[in-house]
Amino acid sequence: MPYLLLCVVSLALTHFVRADECKDISVKNEIISVDQPFAFNCTHPPQTSGEVNITWYKNSSKIPISKNVWSRIHQDESWILFLPLTWRDAAIYQCVIKNINSCYRIHVNLTVFRKYWCGISRNALWNLSDEYIQTLHFGKADSLTCHLNFPKSCVLDLIKWYKDCKEIEEKRFNPEGVKLFVNNVSAEDRGKYACQARLTHMGKEYIVLNSISVDITEKVEYGDRVPKITYPRNNSIEVKLGSTLIVDCNITDLRENTNLRCWKVNNTQVNDYYRESKRIREGYESEVSFEQYNKYTVNITFLEVKMEDYGRPFVCHAGVSAAYIVLKLPAPDSRAYLIGGFIALTGVAVSVMCIYNNFKIDIVLWYRSAFHSTQPIDDGKLYDAYVLYPKPQSGFQSHNVNILVLKILPEVLERQCGYKLFIFGRDEVPGQAIASVIDENSKLCRRLIIIIVPEFLRIGLLKNIAEEQIIVYNALIQEGMKVILIELEKIKDYTDMPESIKYIRQKHGAIQWSGDFTEESQSAKTKFWKKVRYHMPPTRYPPLSPIQLLKHISCN
Amino acid sequence: MDRYLVRVSSRTEPLLGHIQDISHQVWFLQDQTLVAVPRKHGVIPVTIALISCKYPETLEKDKGNPIYLGLKEPELCLSCSKVNDQPTLQLMEQNILDLYNQTEPVKSFLFYHNQNGRTSTFESVAFPGWFIAVSSEDGCPLIITQDLGKTSTTDFVLSLQ
Repeated sequence: MPYLLLCVVSLALTHFVRADECKDISVKNEIISVDQPFAFNCTHPPQTSGEVNITWYKNSSKIPISKNVWSRIHQDESWILFLPLTWRDAAIYQCVIKNINSCYRIHVNLTVFRKYWCGISRNALWNLSDEYIQTLHFGKADSLTCHLNFPKSCVLDLIKWYKDCKEIEEKRFNPEGVKLFVNNVSAEDRGKYACQARLTHMGKEYIVLNSISVDITEKVEYGDRVPKITYPRNNSIEVKLGSTLIVDCNITDLRENTNLRCWKVNNTQVNDYYRESKRIREGYESEVSFEQYNKYTVNITFLEVKMEDYGRPFVCHAGVSAAYIVLKLPAPDSRAYLIGGFIALTGVAVSVMCIYNNFKIDIVLWYRSAFHSTQPIDDGKLYDAYVLYPKPQSGFQSHNVNILVLKILPEVLERQCGYKLFIFGRDEVPGQAIASVIDENSKLCRRLIIIIVPEFLRIGLLKNIAEEQIIVYNALIQEGMKVILIELEKIKDYTDMPESIKYIRQKHGAIQWSGDFTEESQSAKTKFWKKVRYHMPPTRYPPLSPIQLLKHISCN
Repeated sequence: MDRYLVRVSSRTEPLLGHIQDISHQVWFLQDQTLVAVPRKHGVIPVTIALISCKYPETLEKDKGNPIYLGLKEPELCLSCSKVNDQPTLQLMEQNILDLYNQTEPVKSFLFYHNQNGRTSTFESVAFPGWFIAVSSEDGCPLIITQDLGKTSTTDFVLSLQ
């Protein structure tokens, strides 16, 4: 008998110890209005799914809550049910969940309060603790829910909806089951709502009243869910080999979208593709939030552009959208080349012009000596030049003119260079009429050399004489002869000159005499003589006599 | 008025936000289990952490953005795998960035996030046709189901911070 007692005690102890070994898994706080039906379901998802034993206790009492359905407080399956709640019910309730292997305990801290609602007491504060919070979406059809959580033994019906203490009757609101559907939600729908339901349990009726605080969301358009990439635009970027490059990808997307935004190459994220070298990296993402959407920027950084990067698409992805860049070697600057080429050509042309202008005479004379044949050309001319000069009887320059015309010109042009001159006063046949001599012989000449002496201009020489008129007429009008004007001195004022001379000077220019009037020292290679020879026709005759040439420098 | 909020974030930072269903029930962590409870004063919903998978091209294209879905705190991620031959939704101890940084998509932790208007669905990548769902009854745990629009809802409202 004592053994049996010990056994029972030990069994009871074992049971007791086991109950104490239960694991406390959570503490729930419930604040419920007095006089309302209230129910709490004891669930612990992994444990309540199989075979379990659930028992409710009040405070630390060892006596379980009654399971009598007529009792005001009783356990209904896993629920504890208060029909209705009284002030005395405020306590800590424990729900013990046991199965073969485990034991869990949930604590429910129940607080009871008086809910003042709609005119019962205007001075009472609105108690938020049992208030539900719900949100309606602006501009859309949405719904509120009346949360009525009771065991199956309770029948809930006759749900009424209130807004700001008035029953809702507007057609935009449609109650259906536990829901209140709201069409075309507007900002005015914000506010304090309440839903009231009739609860019937074992033939007795109760009223359940839930307060709901309703907020309205901002207006959000859900139209385009596809993110937009504003840059890049499948474009190419010119970049030098070895340089650093940063390219931004700009994306516009709705805030609630969960699209992946990244840079890829060969269908692999660049950070993975260049995991080792880290030469090309994706940068941090920056984001600017607007009311409806976000603007994102994700950059790609090339620390050093390599040859392999050219021509390969680097793609910015944002969800289903994608856009790439392709790197290009910079094109050679064709404009610079063009300008350079133009400058070089201009330089060459200017140089050539300068050289030609400075050495024109030498070049032409050299060319003539090198390539022109010395064979006479049959053009019907007998002389290379007719020499027209003033013939005053006295004066400072008359001697010099005579020396120049009769000595120096023949010396240089005839003897050294091989030209044949017609000099009036030397070459005419005596007895001939002057006018006919001049007329005939001037027509046989290729050039007309006019010697101008300023001193004689004042006294009218070389102005009206017949020789001049005939010659100049022949030269300018009939034969089209080239005229070589030699000024013995610098002439400052041409106003007194005959019109024909002015014209000739303007057309052909003039050569200023330089040198002295000694016959011996003349050389065809001086600047003055080169100019004269330049204007003379190419030499066609060999110099007069080889013996004479021994004494003189050759023309070429 | 437009609001301007400039934020620079690392690529490898998950998005944070809250999820509730169309019956105004929020996701709530109860002893390592996600349950849906009516939103009330004093009910603190879990903060969701989510990050897109780097390899969407290896997965189905038209189902939505493949994302990893977890909690900000504690470090738990939603996973779908077979328990007793039945696809089951579980919270696993897992760092979401470790999943993101894997060289291949980790399908059991991935969900296609599909948006339709203001609501979203989350379909298991490992078990196509199976969606995250909650019962209309309060305090029930989140489940994975292929029975759409019957006793449970698969439509959620995701609000990102």
